[in-house]
Amino acid sequence: MIKEMITVLNENGLHALPASRFVKLAEKFESDVTLIKDGIEVSGKSIMGILTMACEKGSKILLICDGEDEKEALKALRQILEGQD
Amino acid sequence: MPKEKILRGIAASKGIAQGKIFVYETHSLQVFQTPILSVYLKDETERFERAIAQTKKELSEIKECINREIGEDFGQFLDAQILMLTDKEIVDTVKKRIGDEKKNAEWVYNQVIDNYARKLADSKDQYFKERVADIWDVGHRVLRNLLGMIHASVVDAPTNSILVAHDISPSEATLINAKHVLGIATEMGGRTSHTAITARALEIPAVLGIEGLLAKVSHGEDLLIDGDRGIVIVNPSSSRTQQFATAKKKVIELEKALSPYCELTPETRDGRHIDISANIEFFAEANQAKKYGAQGIGLFRTEFLYLTRRGNPTEEEQFRVYQALAKSMKPNSVIIRTFDLGGDKIFAGYHEPNPFLGWRAIRVCLEEVEFFKIQLRAILRASVSKNVKIMFPMVATYEEIKRIKLIFGEVRKELKSKKVDFDENIQLGIMVETPSAAILSAHLAAEVDFFSIGSNDLTQYTLAVDRGNERVSKLFDHFHPGVLRLIRDVIEAGHQAHIWVGLCGELASDPLAIPLLVGLGIDELSMSPSSIPRAKLTLRAISTPKCSEIAREALNYRTATEVKRFLRRAVHKNFPGIDEIIK
Repeated sequence: MIKEMITVLNENGLHALPASRFVKLAEKFESDVTLIKDGIEVSGKSIMGILTMACEKGSKILLICDGEDEKEALKALRQILEGQD
Repeated sequence: MPKEKILRGIAASKGIAQGKIFVYETHSLQVFQTPILSVYLKDETERFERAIAQTKKELSEIKECINREIGEDFGQFLDAQILMLTDKEIVDTVKKRIGDEKKNAEWVYNQVIDNYARKLADSKDQYFKERVADIWDVGHRVLRNLLGMIHASVVDAPTNSILVAHDISPSEATLINAKHVLGIATEMGGRTSHTAITARALEIPAVLGIEGLLAKVSHGEDLLIDGDRGIVIVNPSSSRTQQFATAKKKVIELEKALSPYCELTPETRDGRHIDISANIEFFAEANQAKKYGAQGIGLFRTEFLYLTRRGNPTEEEQFRVYQALAKSMKPNSVIIRTFDLGGDKIFAGYHEPNPFLGWRAIRVCLEEVEFFKIQLRAILRASVSKNVKIMFPMVATYEEIKRIKLIFGEVRKELKSKKVDFDENIQLGIMVETPSAAILSAHLAAEVDFFSIGSNDLTQYTLAVDRGNERVSKLFDHFHPGVLRLIRDVIEAGHQAHIWVGLCGELASDPLAIPLLVGLGIDELSMSPSSIPRAKLTLRAISTPKCSEIAREALNYRTATEVKRFLRRAVHKNFPGIDEIIK
């Protein structure tokens, strides 16, 4: 299991479109993906979960990936959070 | 026989139609709790899975439809909806709770969705708050499928029906089948709503904003819809039906008589050519413009890019729409008007008491420069086909033009440095629709390549009349000599500066106004596509010298009534060819 604290740099926060991209990408990985913000934990493969976290730009999120391909998953997924995809 | 009832609304799309009411149910979903026997729990779970699959199919169809009709990528917001629908957490929770609680699927699903919606509604950020609507959009669709509601979609409307609804969402409006639906009547919406735009694109009559409509009609009743006058008649009497059928027949006959004019060139008897172009707001309307013989798009309204989607459109999305339109109209030109919207439509949470005199159109763009630049970049990139022009709405001061040009210059420079191609000679023009712009037109003309007179707004601002306000709307008259004199001044100022001057309001297609406008020297008339054949007929029946005489005299009158009376007489005497269509 690996984890990293990431600041959301996406211009408008984690809006529906980046959130959709995040979920679609997360689903491609074997690993479990979890996001934690302000003590609230949601699955990174659930768009409803991500949206209800209401991540504005600048919010800090702990991204956790756990599984065979956790390294690749973390690397790819953080790019979406940082608005570099 | 049930009694006939006349209801008033907003005339949103022209034409007359009569058919059977098809009520599209968007609300009044009632979900009840029912215990499920253990032996049936598996069936219940499967029923839920089928509803999800069915809804997924519907959403994918809508997405394809929007991408096809409005533009690639515009259906993207539905991707998010599909993900919400198939969200594993939700699906698993619902299935588990059906089994644990032994309750029916709709009850459990409704509770689970409600729980997520409440969490979102609690967030501080406005954007996330507004996503509640998305969640319920999906949620209601699933519930309708679970409840087996027959009229879950407008697609189900049978032939010869009049679609009646509280409101029709943008995604649903794209599914309206013009072969089945003869007309649309709704409680919500106005002339610029998505439903109105769709109805006009499909050329089916629509009356929107009818208060209390659903309470006054029922499924299967007869409904007559008059999209010209903005009324609907429930259970029309046979004499009424007859009267409308005759009127409709006349319209069809007139259309038939006018159809040869689509092909003809728009020129006066003495050979003066006037460009006739089309006002459109939808890429799909470009075909109509061509069908009716437009020589280009004189006004491409870009507001729909905002109104039909959630969130602001990206540069890429806009670029694709502009590029597709420019390519489709080539070699004829396309005039793209930058956003003419109130700030409240673009920025969530912004409201003002008097939007027509408020923060709208170019005023928004000049303050939200980055937002403005996105659109300018998209238009410039689309201009490589060399037939694109840009037009700015609601300019009221000289400083505004200077500032527009400054920002425009920055965008050009930026594109050049990135080696992005665009048309170096792209024409810049302004809408002349505020009295100050008309009065100062000699100064403004020195700064731009063309003027397009927006006669509707010019009339509204000059006469200080809100035509949407019933108490004063009768004072709205674009034949008012005050308005006509401003139009004369604008055309003169434009010509002195050697730029062309067009007009894109309702006046442009009025057979009574065309001789006057030609007499004043107008170079281009832009109108709704279906008005084009009639305008061509009018043009081909008149001659410039006579029109100049008529214009000179018309401007001497004191009232709109005097002007119109004079014009009617003058047209009757000099151009009997158009007398018939004025009636």
